[in-house]
Amino acid sequence: MVQSVKPTASTWCPGCGDFGVLAAAKKALVELKIPPHEAVLVGGIGCSGGIHNFLEINGLHALHGRLLAQAVAVKLANPKLTVIAAGGDGDGYAIGMGHFMHAFKKNVSILYLVMNNETYGLTKGQASPTSRVGYEGNVEQPFDAILTALSIPSGAYLARTFSGDPKTMTAVLSEAIQFNRDHRGYAFVEDLSPCVTYNDTFKEWREKVVNVEKLPGYDPTDRSAVFRLCLETMRDGKIPIGVMHRPPRVDGADANPLELKLLPDHVGPAEADIGIEANRVAYQKLLQSVA
Amino acid sequence: MTTPAAQTAPQPTESEGAQRRPSTLLSDVSIIIGGQGGDGTLTVVDLLGRYFRKRGLYVYTSRNVLSRIRGGHADASVRACRAPRASIKSKAELLLAFDQESIEIAKPELDADALVLFDSSVFKADFPNVLGFPFATLAGGQVGQPIYKNTAAYGAISVLMGFDEALTRQVIEERFKRRGAEALQKNLKALEIGRKAALENAAAIDRWSIADGEAHDLILMTGNQAAALGFVVGGGRFFAGYPITPATEIMEYLMRYFPSFHGVVRQGEDELASINMVIGAAYAGARAITSTSGPGLSLMTEGIGHAATAELGIVVVDCQRVGPSTGEPTRHEQSDLAHLAHLGHGEYPKFILSPGSVEDCFYLAADALNLAEKWRLPVILLLDQALSQNAATGPALDLDRVTVARPRHLTPEQLAHLETFKYYELTASGLSPFVPPGTPGVTSQVTGNEHDEWGHVSVNPVNRAKMMQKRMGKLVQARDDLPGPRYFGPADARVGLIGFGSTSGPILEALDWLEQEGIPAKYYQARTLFPVPEATLAPFLDSVDTAFVVEHNFTGQFARLIREEMPAYHAKLRSILKYDGFSFRAPELVEPVREAVHGTKR
Ligand SMILES: Cc1ncc(C[n+]2csc(CCOP(=O)(O)OP(=O)(O)O)c2C)c(N)n1
Ligand code: SF4
Ligand SMILES: [Mg+2]
Repeated sequence: MVQSVKPTASTWCPGCGDFGVLAAAKKALVELKIPPHEAVLVGGIGCSGGIHNFLEINGLHALHGRLLAQAVAVKLANPKLTVIAAGGDGDGYAIGMGHFMHAFKKNVSILYLVMNNETYGLTKGQASPTSRVGYEGNVEQPFDAILTALSIPSGAYLARTFSGDPKTMTAVLSEAIQFNRDHRGYAFVEDLSPCVTYNDTFKEWREKVVNVEKLPGYDPTDRSAVFRLCLETMRDGKIPIGVMHRPPRVDGADANPLELKLLPDHVGPAEADIGIEANRVAYQKLLQSVA
Repeated sequence: MTTPAAQTAPQPTESEGAQRRPSTLLSDVSIIIGGQGGDGTLTVVDLLGRYFRKRGLYVYTSRNVLSRIRGGHADASVRACRAPRASIKSKAELLLAFDQESIEIAKPELDADALVLFDSSVFKADFPNVLGFPFATLAGGQVGQPIYKNTAAYGAISVLMGFDEALTRQVIEERFKRRGAEALQKNLKALEIGRKAALENAAAIDRWSIADGEAHDLILMTGNQAAALGFVVGGGRFFAGYPITPATEIMEYLMRYFPSFHGVVRQGEDELASINMVIGAAYAGARAITSTSGPGLSLMTEGIGHAATAELGIVVVDCQRVGPSTGEPTRHEQSDLAHLAHLGHGEYPKFILSPGSVEDCFYLAADALNLAEKWRLPVILLLDQALSQNAATGPALDLDRVTVARPRHLTPEQLAHLETFKYYELTASGLSPFVPPGTPGVTSQVTGNEHDEWGHVSVNPVNRAKMMQKRMGKLVQARDDLPGPRYFGPADARVGLIGFGSTSGPILEALDWLEQEGIPAKYYQARTLFPVPEATLAPFLDSVDTAFVVEHNFTGQFARLIREEMPAYHAKLRSILKYDGFSFRAPELVEPVREAVHGTKR
């Protein structure tokens, strides 16, 4: 068999939260029996974005903040691929914020996994959009991606996980990837993934995380109920995690994700036969339509 | 020519023909139509264009030849000629004006004895040579809606220019039959109203007559449409872009064309999204394209460099307009070339192709896709506002002149025979093998970070040097693959002109003028601008005493590029530049050449 690229050893600091994500992602891919050649991980720029190098799947290393645009197009070009975009909070919520919002609107069946460490790890610890007031001189209000995502009308699968709880994370990633593979639309997962070097929050987060699934009134199909539970949890100084939105199955073409709306027969641009001969009749007709 | 007094209402004449003047035969005619947006200026241009084509003439139409960005003014022009002209005629014979503003704006573009035909129900024209009919009132009264004034005006022009009556009517039938019986009837009625009004005025009848031409079976298209068609047959299947004048039509055409071919068009949330979507699609194995103009190009620059380093083939169409910043969105310029040639941070290879005619947009669009995929780098298809948006007649597009080759794509058998599959394999040809993600048995790592042959991130200095040489080497290795120039004019001429893009139209017209003046001149139409086509430019420059590089920018960007690559020719190069937002008219090229020739002692 032809030998192709092998994963490299990770370059993260020992103890980095991103190891938890790597382990969970590996497990989920194995659990779902996804062959390496069928999966593409589009990595952002940051410590987190390097994850594509450490997994035995296809990797596309995007520009800083642009991973979602690239990942969406990979899926639209070949809807048979399993596509995961993964990067940091700076990548996704600062420079990539435009794409973050539009990804919900596009509703392509890909998973976007943000490893939120509330800092810019790779550039050595500057404030990020999620940094709390006071971190590295930050005086701006921290951004909350889950509250934002819950407030955007969409059929996306939404969850927040914690690197200190790899078991739950594996289950969530498996569910999200399967959601994508079933062409049910976009999935967004934010993982709380501490940067042990510039913002070690492991201990604090372990104490503060509250799984909303265990709270009274939780209903993963009811955004407003989950939104309220999140706000209440945060008011108590805690951090809500868990599956935030598990949309019910909806039938009908309107419910289709973008790749099926555009490509009803599942054949994408990358698989189209572009030979002149294969298209000659249709091409002639098209050219003759210009008078 | 005599100057008839302003007519504010149709004047019935007794016997038609009694006061006829001998008509002037035109084999090259230009008509400008100006008014407010919504006056239907484009409809009149379309009707006239259709008529002239039926007479076997070449047609060139352009929108907004006059307008500054102000109010709702809209104008357009149509030129019809026995010779193949893809340029705006230096002076127009006729202006159809729906308001006085159009006259003020058009004045510099009008012939000394040009006629202004105006809608006397709206205003009284102030110009030496005018003829007025109350088109809007007549149309409102007899057709029921004043908007039919445009078709009525077409009818009046048909009388002024001695059009064949049956053909004139046929044009209306062809244009409006698809809009339903009622629309057709109303337009035919409007046509008759306009004709009748003109026929009742002796000063209007057969003022000109139009020579027949031999150009039949031509098609009329803009460069943007031709490029979109070229992308379809060249195997393009993914497009992402953000609306921007004058590039938007490429996206709009592809929205119509692509879905039947498993193609996808996305309007991105901005140019950053668009270029990165194109990168993602190219990575997945699709032939992917974006189109933009100045401001969007600036935003895409990071992505274009990323594609070059990650070795992903993409095509970027730049429809140049007046820059920088928002500049003049609807105006013509060729001022992005220097930016494109030195694009972005770091150093990386790219090809810049420049079609010289509408037809060429089709063929080079397809070529761009082949080159981008084979050499795995960004290919810029450089258009300009005039080429993008002006419509010109040309020969029907020939599918047999298009090839789709995928030499780097490994078949499953080829792949099975390999021991290793390295996405960035160093080879003598500079080309690495390719299979798209999803190919059983192999995976790849693709990155804009410096990488080794496997795609692993690397800062090894030996590797860095090799990878730089691999990428930059493409500029040399691909030379024979790049589109060659076109030559026009007598081979032994000692005066040369060099140009690209839409300037080819006025340059070719200028060659004819110069020939008539006894100044033989020849033209090198560059179709690859970067890498600078030294192999063909050097012999051309050797064969002339002086070469005028004709371009629409302030600093002579192409001339500078040539000097940079070919300093030995420094002294032979002169620039003819225009940067007022208007495209060249032939005299603007003839004059500097004439001056230089007569002023040069040889
Ligand atoms: C356009 C651009 N601006 C800035 C950078 C520098 N840069 C690299 S990573 C990074 C931020 C990383 O933070 P985050 O996305 O949170 O990832 P982390 O390292 O924390 O996982 C920045 C600013 C860049 N690569 N590109
Ligand atoms: S700097 Fe922080 S985020 Fe980056 S690898 Fe080290 S611990 Fe992880
Ligand atoms: Mg971070």
